[in-house]
Amino acid sequence: MNDTQAPAIELRNLTKSYKDLNALDDISLSLEPGRIYGLLGRNGAGKTTLMTMLTGQGYPTSGEALIFGANPFEHDQTLARICFIRESQKYPDDFSPLQAFKAAALFFANWDQDLADSLAKDFALPLKRRIKKLSRGQLSAVGVIIGMAARAEITFFDEPYLGLDAVARQIFYDRLVEDFAHHPRTIVLSSHLIDEIANLLEHVVVIDKGRIMLNEDAESLRGSAVAVTGNAEKVEGFINGYEVLHRDSLGSLASVTIKARLTATQQEMAAELGLELSPVPLQQLVVRTTLAAQSREELTESQEALK
Amino acid sequence: MSRVMNVARMQLINKWTFLGIPMVILVGSTALTIAIWAMIPKGGILVSGSSQAVVWYFLALGIQSLTLTFPFSQAMSVSRKTFYLGTLGLFATIALAYAVLYYVLGLIETATGGWGMGGQLFALGWISENNAGVQILFYFVIMVLLFMIGFWCATIYLRWKATGMLVLGIGVALLTLAWVGLMSMNHWWIPFWTWVGSATVLGLALSLGVLCVLLAGGSYLTLRRATA
Amino acid sequence: MSMIDDSRPIFLQIAELIENDIVSGTIGEESQVPSTNEFAAYYRINPATAAKGINLLVERGILHKKRGIGMFVSTGARAQLLQTRRKDFQTQYIAPLAREAQKLGIGADELNAMIKQSLISELTEGSGIR
Repeated sequence: MNDTQAPAIELRNLTKSYKDLNALDDISLSLEPGRIYGLLGRNGAGKTTLMTMLTGQGYPTSGEALIFGANPFEHDQTLARICFIRESQKYPDDFSPLQAFKAAALFFANWDQDLADSLAKDFALPLKRRIKKLSRGQLSAVGVIIGMAARAEITFFDEPYLGLDAVARQIFYDRLVEDFAHHPRTIVLSSHLIDEIANLLEHVVVIDKGRIMLNEDAESLRGSAVAVTGNAEKVEGFINGYEVLHRDSLGSLASVTIKARLTATQQEMAAELGLELSPVPLQQLVVRTTLAAQSREELTESQEALK
Repeated sequence: MSRVMNVARMQLINKWTFLGIPMVILVGSTALTIAIWAMIPKGGILVSGSSQAVVWYFLALGIQSLTLTFPFSQAMSVSRKTFYLGTLGLFATIALAYAVLYYVLGLIETATGGWGMGGQLFALGWISENNAGVQILFYFVIMVLLFMIGFWCATIYLRWKATGMLVLGIGVALLTLAWVGLMSMNHWWIPFWTWVGSATVLGLALSLGVLCVLLAGGSYLTLRRATA
Repeated sequence: MSMIDDSRPIFLQIAELIENDIVSGTIGEESQVPSTNEFAAYYRINPATAAKGINLLVERGILHKKRGIGMFVSTGARAQLLQTRRKDFQTQYIAPLAREAQKLGIGADELNAMIKQSLISELTEGSGIR
């Protein structure tokens, strides 16, 4: 193994098919260690399948999924560096959260019991109740606690907040930032609640229908699009030449989201035209980009069909 | 290796399921049988198979050790192979302990004249005639066999769900039919029963042992590509 | 945190927030600024992003690092920032003001009077608070 040079996560032409469905379609990706990544996409986009391949819990139809340059499938040495708690994670029926943590302490070398205890307290998790009697939120809390206290080199969180209320989710995000600051490691947060986690992410990977739609640093995404609102004619004149992500109109009023980083002069020009410029949140950007890519795809498909 | 041991430890975190219940079954069924014997009029040898309940419990253990713990072991970043080795190793050890316990209880039974009532619970005639090694081996193989059947069926269900069970059921039925047909057509029944009648406990234990190994191999191959 | 918005990269916003505190005198020269992790926890942002914002100010000479202790405001940082801000004042504030005034038909004299009035009330209110 060549740890120093191998990326934390690497996908090479990864495809996973179920019968006639391509859950992942020829994906290639390389992510360096020590960052918080957002794996974003709609439900059924292939997020869980992707993480399943990366953690050796499943195996690809073709291509490779590598962790620090090694195939994790049935490879204990590599698996020991990963933690992946599924969104629908199953636990032994008769286990209590306390027993689940005890098991985790056996397998994760960096397990921090103090962290697990304090998180359990924050989430008000009944430690001795049987897991099958826990609520959906409490069940999620068990997964979150294991994922965090394991302090694995690469941790995957699969929609970790299901059933957690706003307060509990905030606790999760706060504690995650705090712990990451002191113990930097690679964290992959899979989510469709993008707004909530946007500021935590350093890098964003958006997948849709088993393909990568977006793979960029969160910071370079921020402010990379702008919504131009005002008189439809003036808006059209202003946005001429830019990639349009979205169009809305109301009578003579138009609001167009374009992919552009406007200079001060351009901003002034917009102001002189009476156009309003407004920032596009990451969530909107992801949604717009995904939808724009989809309609492009449909367009080419229908064009091909015409030929 | 330490991860294999940790799998065994994980299986034992909840001691009640895998150690407590079989103990309760053993003590409970024995006590109940002796109580019944004490109530019925004396006369002749009293034989009961109730103590064998624990042996059957190994079937349940095989199923539970997979369905309850395998998906969780995946979240614990344990490879299927490690899970398999740790689980099988643990339950083989438990089976061995029970086999020895049965042998010892058989000795006590004989020494106390069938618990003072001429009963037979553990020292079953045909088996207890053999030496210690053969007796222990026999009990051990039976328990491992049942464990493996449960474990493999659970693995097949995990991997192929109801379809797998259906195919398995039909497969077993067809094989049995083919075997019965073959035996009947060739008039092999009489030699077969003669062979069974003359089989020694050791011979039976060894041939069932081979079956155990086959089941263990099949289980591993099934589990290797199973997803939780 | 409402102070962080989506219009620009967060690291720029973090840098600006620190600059604001230096300009207003909330953080004096040669005094320590909060650590990367403190910023990250407070604004609920990625620590790497917070670090990037602080590093930007280090590059500009606004902050400097004291090994093993932390980040400190450089001497002359306030003056340097004031100079830049004054330069931006025209484009950032005066130009839009003039544009809006023209739209509303407010003449130069009227605008002058309005600015004067605002300045006076700002000064009296400001002294009242401090």
